[in-house]
Amino acid sequence: MAGELAFDIAPAIVALPFASFLAVLALGNYMPKKGASAGIAATAGSLVLSLFALVTVAGGSTYQQDLFTWSGAEEVPLHFGIFIDPLSAMMLVIVSLIALLVHVFSLGYMNDEGETGLPRYYSELGLFTFSMLAFVMADNLLMAFMFFELVGLCSYLLIGFWFREDGPASAAKKAFLVTRFGDYFFLIGTVGIVATFGTSRFVSTESHTAFPVLAEEALAEGGHGVTTFLGFGPEAWFSIIGLLVLGGVIGKSAQFPLHTWLPDAMEGPTPVSALIHAATMVAAGVYLVARMYGFYALLPTVLAIIALTGGFTALFAATMGVVKREIKQVLAYSTISQYGYMMLALGGGGYVAATFHLMTHAFFKALLFLGAGSVIIAMHHNEDMWDMGGLKNKMPVTYYTFLAGSLALAGIVPFAGFWSKDEVLYEVLVHGLGSAGTTGTILLVAYAMGLVAVLFTGFYTFRMVFLTFHGEPRTETARDPEPVRWNVKLPLVVLGALATVAGVVNMVPVEKVLGIKGIDYLHQFLDPETELVSNLTAHHYEEVLHDVSGYTADATAFGSESTTVLISAGLSLGLALVGVGLAYALYGRSPTPEEHTDKLGGLKTLWYNNYYQDEYQVWLASGLTLPLAKLADRFDQGIIDGAVNGVGRTSLTGGSYVKRIQTGIVTNYAALLALGLVALLLIVGVTGGWFA
Amino acid sequence: MAVDTSYYLILSAAVFCTGLFGILTRRNALLFLMSVELMLNAANINLVAFSQYYGNLTGQVFALFTMALAAAEVAVGIGIILVLYRNFEDVDVAEAATMRW
Amino acid sequence: MMDGTIEALIAVTLVGSLVVMAGSDRYAAKLATAWSLIPLVGSLGMWATYDATGNALLGGDTAFTSRETWLGLGPLPDIEWFVGIDGISMPLVVLTTVLVTLALVSAWTPIDERQSQFYGLVLFLEAGLLGVFTALDFFVWFVFWEAVLVPMYFLIGVWGGPRRKYAAIKMFVYTNIASLVMFVGYTALVFGLGDAVSTFAMPETAEALVVENVQPDALAFVDAETLKVAAFTALFAGFAVKVPIVPVHTWLPDAHVEAPTPVSVLLAGVLLKMGTYALLRFNFTMLPDVARANMPIIAAFAVISIIYGAMLALAQTDLKRIVAYSSVSSMGYVILGLAAYTLYGVGGAAFQMVSHGLISGLMFMAVGVIYNTTHTRMVTDMSGMASKMPYTVGILIAGAFGYMGLPLMSGFAAEFYVFLGAFQAGAFDVANYNLMPAFTAVAMFGIVIVAGYLLLAMQRTLFGEFSLETDYEVGRAPLHDIAPLAVLLVLIIALGSQPDIFFEMIREASGPVADLVGGGA
Repeated sequence: MAGELAFDIAPAIVALPFASFLAVLALGNYMPKKGASAGIAATAGSLVLSLFALVTVAGGSTYQQDLFTWSGAEEVPLHFGIFIDPLSAMMLVIVSLIALLVHVFSLGYMNDEGETGLPRYYSELGLFTFSMLAFVMADNLLMAFMFFELVGLCSYLLIGFWFREDGPASAAKKAFLVTRFGDYFFLIGTVGIVATFGTSRFVSTESHTAFPVLAEEALAEGGHGVTTFLGFGPEAWFSIIGLLVLGGVIGKSAQFPLHTWLPDAMEGPTPVSALIHAATMVAAGVYLVARMYGFYALLPTVLAIIALTGGFTALFAATMGVVKREIKQVLAYSTISQYGYMMLALGGGGYVAATFHLMTHAFFKALLFLGAGSVIIAMHHNEDMWDMGGLKNKMPVTYYTFLAGSLALAGIVPFAGFWSKDEVLYEVLVHGLGSAGTTGTILLVAYAMGLVAVLFTGFYTFRMVFLTFHGEPRTETARDPEPVRWNVKLPLVVLGALATVAGVVNMVPVEKVLGIKGIDYLHQFLDPETELVSNLTAHHYEEVLHDVSGYTADATAFGSESTTVLISAGLSLGLALVGVGLAYALYGRSPTPEEHTDKLGGLKTLWYNNYYQDEYQVWLASGLTLPLAKLADRFDQGIIDGAVNGVGRTSLTGGSYVKRIQTGIVTNYAALLALGLVALLLIVGVTGGWFA
Repeated sequence: MAVDTSYYLILSAAVFCTGLFGILTRRNALLFLMSVELMLNAANINLVAFSQYYGNLTGQVFALFTMALAAAEVAVGIGIILVLYRNFEDVDVAEAATMRW
Repeated sequence: MMDGTIEALIAVTLVGSLVVMAGSDRYAAKLATAWSLIPLVGSLGMWATYDATGNALLGGDTAFTSRETWLGLGPLPDIEWFVGIDGISMPLVVLTTVLVTLALVSAWTPIDERQSQFYGLVLFLEAGLLGVFTALDFFVWFVFWEAVLVPMYFLIGVWGGPRRKYAAIKMFVYTNIASLVMFVGYTALVFGLGDAVSTFAMPETAEALVVENVQPDALAFVDAETLKVAAFTALFAGFAVKVPIVPVHTWLPDAHVEAPTPVSVLLAGVLLKMGTYALLRFNFTMLPDVARANMPIIAAFAVISIIYGAMLALAQTDLKRIVAYSSVSSMGYVILGLAAYTLYGVGGAAFQMVSHGLISGLMFMAVGVIYNTTHTRMVTDMSGMASKMPYTVGILIAGAFGYMGLPLMSGFAAEFYVFLGAFQAGAFDVANYNLMPAFTAVAMFGIVIVAGYLLLAMQRTLFGEFSLETDYEVGRAPLHDIAPLAVLLVLIIALGSQPDIFFEMIREASGPVADLVGGGA
């Protein structure tokens, strides 16, 4: 419904950070706190407006508005527009909230530490916030792609903030390149969608139909009304496009095999890691799949691939997190792993579960990164956990909030992460049990991987907690850490509270087991009943999944529904507790823990070196492509240019012989001229028959 | 009485050949220039002769143009010869071959 | 019918050229820059009052049209003074005047001898370029086309680097031979049409070939179809050198490396566009059936240019060579878009001409500003420039991302249009066109390689600890070096966030070309 005040002023949500970006870029050096105050004001404004929009959306309104035409060709108009529905409203709040907290935290992490180049830092943060919010609001895929790329640019700039050192510069390049590789497929997918459907809108309006709806109709009618390419039928072609778009998702959300950039991205300032590489930008991929879930729900093959990628990544990344020494590295692998869960949920038919986990993860992972940042300040920028220990008493605020985040990450009841992770696994399980054929099998395999990853998650999380905060201080810095100020503690407390209680928005297990109706607020929230988004609701997706892709939820495989719920929750909670217990046994009991990782032998080497994933990707770039380029260059210089120069040299040599005719004596020229004339006359005469 | 055109043409050819002969055999730049003038005038004779033959004045007008051109050419030619003399202390065209390659 | 606007535009530039050349070296720079504002303002005024519709060659109106018979050649086709502007040439005219002014400003620092000749020649070059983009009679067009080469030859050969003579001669001979081939091809085509056309004016020729579908008369030794194919090949080969398309591209890196910065800017920014502009006007507008039949070959040339050019850029260590080879790659997108014959393909190609002109101009200028202080362009000779020249480097990074096709910058719009147009061509019911999406997908891999080499070069030169192999004091660049960079960046972003500034008129003019094959998208 247009006319709602919250929606009319919605463009300001993105405009404020953009204004802050411009202002800080131009005048940052003259602004209070080198531009931080402008950023804080802008993100606070965005947060208020986003909350306003969220409340309005919760009241049952949604909003779509074309803002301006980017390219107005009649056949395929391309435009920018705003779309606010429950999903985007929720994401807007998450992004603006974390952005605000990170700005505040940066006061402590950057300003108080006396960094230089702060206006650059805050303007880039502003640009990022702007791009991310615009991405979230996008009402069509092309606009989403454009801001998807822009957040990638901001990520590049912020990772490389300390550009004078080699590490950040190299990591920034790697991050951009690897995600660019994914975006290559995404761009083909976007072009394909526009070419196929003639539109890339996510949401149908009065005059235009959204592409997921067109796809649904096309499949129902056997392929009428859309153009498919390269001779594929509609179903195969849609799957191809879906997979191509998924390439961008895999790159941005750091899924296997394009996850390698994220650990390197930790070279950036820690607040940046919290904002971009944990809570928001990395979520963009998952958000995109959720945004166009109406399209993916039609494609069982793609869903299976999403589920498998997600499940595999969850497990794969979690194993690597077990052996890392740097606190931020553990968190980086944990981030990859957690996004794997979200992908798993999306592939397994758990749209709400994925969104739920996206939300809780944003809170607790941002919290953990900021907590790590606080530790890093205290440790004078030493990130090695083996140099820490015993920080618990020195920095209690950081400790307790970090603990809350860790419990949430490990999935311990009743922290937020438990509820969301449990629902992810539950959804995949029931869909795996209920669906027939290979779909069911694949989902169960993915589920199993996700379940095993829970054990690892519990272990590496608490290994990190014990090593950092418990036991005896192992270095001089750890004995006397630098104190942190309110601007560090405040964001931690806010996020700590959220990580503890955010689960209440969706306590489905409680609802099902105890039979209390109506406490699955997020489910209701994501299932609005307005005309505009009738094709974008959770139950519509469930129907499509069932009707088109053959996904069936079977909650009664182990008896009643509540039994299944309890078994699923019990399994994941039990495994998490085992992991935590193991961490306690190995690292928590002794005040001076020893390195147990060496006992893993070859496995440790393999995990420590990230399964040699970086090596082969670096080899692809510098071992294969660069030599190929050098070869091409030699070919170009030698053969192609050689041929050109050869022609030149031949003419020169030929000329040096022929030029000897030019004696410089005019009489000779005249003689040649006369002889030539005579010869010409003779030829013309003979052939013309003059002498006949 | 009108003279037959062929006589003019024979005259023209003779003058032309004289000029050509001069160019091929002489080394003195001044004689060269004169020979060139002879050849030009041979062409003029041709133009006028044909003009008369066709009863059309275009040829005569063209001949006038050619004469003007020849005058200009002589001016330039003499200039070149003067420079030649200044540089080589001679007007022998075979001497001035230093700019060939 | 004489409108006089275009004549005035060209004449004032020519007069400026003479005035500057006759003047003193001391004030040549400022005088030429100030003078170049006249055509700049003029072309902007023309843009503001532009009111044409359709494609100049395919029955559309043109703006500022002048047409008078210039030389009647009796039985041969007449040569006419025929100039006019449509939606494809208008953006290029504006691009030319804008880039010339900016290039003149960027010359203030590096050009320190024979200034009056230098600036005069640049203005002369501008006059030639304006003529190329406005002429609608083949002979007039050809005269301007050749006239551009002359100042270019001197600009590289006199003010260039150590191997300037080699580079200048190579460029001149290479492109001149190409012109010859092209000239033969076109005249053969026109003479082959015989009585169907009585003029060298391009619209009449296009109309005869396309609208009235007149087949060329069979000459003694070829039939009509062969003549068309031969003419197409000759024209394509001739223009391919100018674009340049692999494998006739090798003059370009040499010319760029030796040319002084402002000349590189104009070479990459405007001169290359002459080639693609001519391809669009002649090959793809006049001989669409040949283009359609040979689409896979043309698209393959485009794809090879894109990928191979990008790979070559990856192998270079001279910053200018990197940008030069990446121009080869970028111009490949233009060819791909043209081959597609869709609204977005042809329009995107025309848009890419403008966009690449701005972005490559920016890149060459920024590299030049760094060179002004470091006196080296080798990637291996410097690092950490960002700490010493923050503004220049900031703009260079922005420009590099523009080159990589970052959204909201013009490069993205252009590439997206081309990709979309090329992809859509896959839906044509024409033989081989169903392969177009595959060609497009391969060509798009260029956006990954371009990111690779630019990021690699940036990492090596701009980031890390500052170090420099040469013994020059490195300081911030003067304002007049940075100002043109900033202006270009603003233009690139403006054009990227609102491409319809130009794309609307480009669409108007490209639509008729797209309709020649398959009937639009």
